[in-house]
Formats: sequence, C-alpha cells, structure tokens
Amino acid sequence: MISNSGILAQTTFGTALGAQSTIKPKGGIWKRQITADLLLTSLIDAFSILVIFLLVNFSNAGEILSVTKDMELPKAGAVDLIERTTVVKFTQGKYFLEDKEVNQSELVAALLQARQEWIAGHPQEEFKGIVTIQADRRTKFESLNAIVLAMANTGYSDIRFAVLTQ
Amino acid sequence: MQNNKEKKYDFELNLIPFIGFMSVCICFLLLTAVWIEIATINVKQAVGGQSAAETEKKPLLWVMMDIDGALSLDVRDAAKVPAALRKLRIASKDGKVDFAEVEKVAANLLAVEPNLSTALIQPKAQSSYEDIISLMDSFKKNGLHDLGVAPL
Repeated sequence: MISNSGILAQTTFGTALGAQSTIKPKGGIWKRQITADLLLTSLIDAFSILVIFLLVNFSNAGEILSVTKDMELPKAGAVDLIERTTVVKFTQGKYFLEDKEVNQSELVAALLQARQEWIAGHPQEEFKGIVTIQADRRTKFESLNAIVLAMANTGYSDIRFAVLTQ
Repeated sequence: MQNNKEKKYDFELNLIPFIGFMSVCICFLLLTAVWIEIATINVKQAVGGQSAAETEKKPLLWVMMDIDGALSLDVRDAAKVPAALRKLRIASKDGKVDFAEVEKVAANLLAVEPNLSTALIQPKAQSSYEDIISLMDSFKKNGLHDLGVAPL
C-alpha cells in the first residue's frame, strides 16, 4: 500500500494530512501521536512563486554592459531592448572601447579596427554599424561628441545610448 | 491482481527532492539576478550617411538645445505645418527643459502633420547627457520615433 509504505508513514507516528483525510480520517492516531510533521504546501507555494518571479526577471543585460559604482546612467521610459554591439564607455574622463582604454585621438583608429574585426568575424553578414554609448548622466555632450564624430568617420550610423529603465 | 476495493487514494508524495531542487533554483537565480534593468535609446547620426540628393524629403524637426534648457525648434519639409508653428522657442523652466511644453508642442505639430516622425537634436557642448536623453525620451513618448543626434 502506498500510504503505508510512504516515507512520512515510516518516519512518524502519524501525519497531519492523514488526520485531515476526508476518505479515511485517522483522528485516533493523530490524537495519540508524539511528533508532528510540517505542512509543506505553503512552503512549496512560496518557493514556486519565488522561482517564477526570479525567472521572469531574469535578464542578461548585466553581461552586456558593466556599470561601475561611480557611473549613474540616465533614466528613460521609451526604451528598446539592449543588444550585444560594440560598446564605447566614457567614465572619469577616459574613453574605453570594450573595456580597453583608448585616447580620444585614437578613437577613430580603434573603431576602424573594431569594424574590421567584426567584418572578418562575420564574413556573410552585412555590417550594421551600431555602437552602444555608456556614460554617466552628468557627462557634458562635449565629451560624448568625440565618440559621435568618430562613429560618423568610421561608418557607424546607429547610436544606442545605455539608460536605466524608468 | 490487486482488488479495486482495496485501492487507497491517500498517498504521500516524497517532497524532499522537489524542495531541494527548488532551493537550488532559488539560490542560483538570486545569485545571478540583475536588479538594475539596462536598456537603450536608439538614435541615428543626424549628419552623414547618405548624400542630400539621395535623402528622401520627409517632414523633419530640428531641435537646438541651449545651455540654460531653452529649446529652438525648426520644422522643415512639412508643407502642412503653418508658418506660426515652423519656428518655435520653448523657454526653460527653472534652468531645465520644460518637458510639459515640449509635449504640448509635439502634440500640436503631430496634429497638423501626422507624417512628422523624425527629430534631430543638436546639443550644445555644455548640454548634459541626462537632458539630451530626457528630451529624446519625451519625443519618443510623443510619437517622434526616428531620432538623430548631431555632433558639434
């Protein structure tokens, strides 16, 4: 018998579930029992809700862009999903192309090299020319202008400004 | 053969492996969770790309940002837009862009020229990145989806 050979039946004198059974209540056993097992239904419900919530919120954006402590991205509401593209970051007065520091004067050369590497790595695809710009919200446009100009000079026509979703 | 009359309907599920699996799942998801949601605002280069002859003439809104938050708007290639609405100036509010006024102007322009969907933003050197993004966000929310940014 399944009910008699169950783990709980073997390890406890009686169960709360058994006592509440509508088919064959075991009130007498329940009254005499010394130990009581936990009602696990609520625990499993809580676990299930947690797992579903975390799975729904799961995002890989953190792997695409790394936001440092000193960088506060601007906020926006009408946004698009982030995609993996070439990332140019401006932080603490320095420019970074894919986490590699480059001087302002070297931005054009670095973007050209990135473009050539992309074309070499994707021979059958058309070059999309997209750059994601990541900067602190207090940055002045004169600092970002160098990136926009370098992009224009190297054939990157699409700019994606990294923002926080409002 | 088992007699149907003796069949028991009460049985206990072994929940221990299930709880173990759920615990592992929760730990993994909590450790890898990204609480900050990063997205992008997609814009185009306002200059370059195609030559003027190749570019299709579409209604266009040029927005010049001033350092104090004031905006100068210039509507081009939009025959339906009356002269009074073609060149506008939106004064700043407390040293910042007056987004309520921007919303109103965008709604007025779209009412007379529904094909207007492109706005090109020309910031100043001292314009803050946050103001530029907020302005783009405001235009996107009000139906101007094709945005461009012009370098200095």
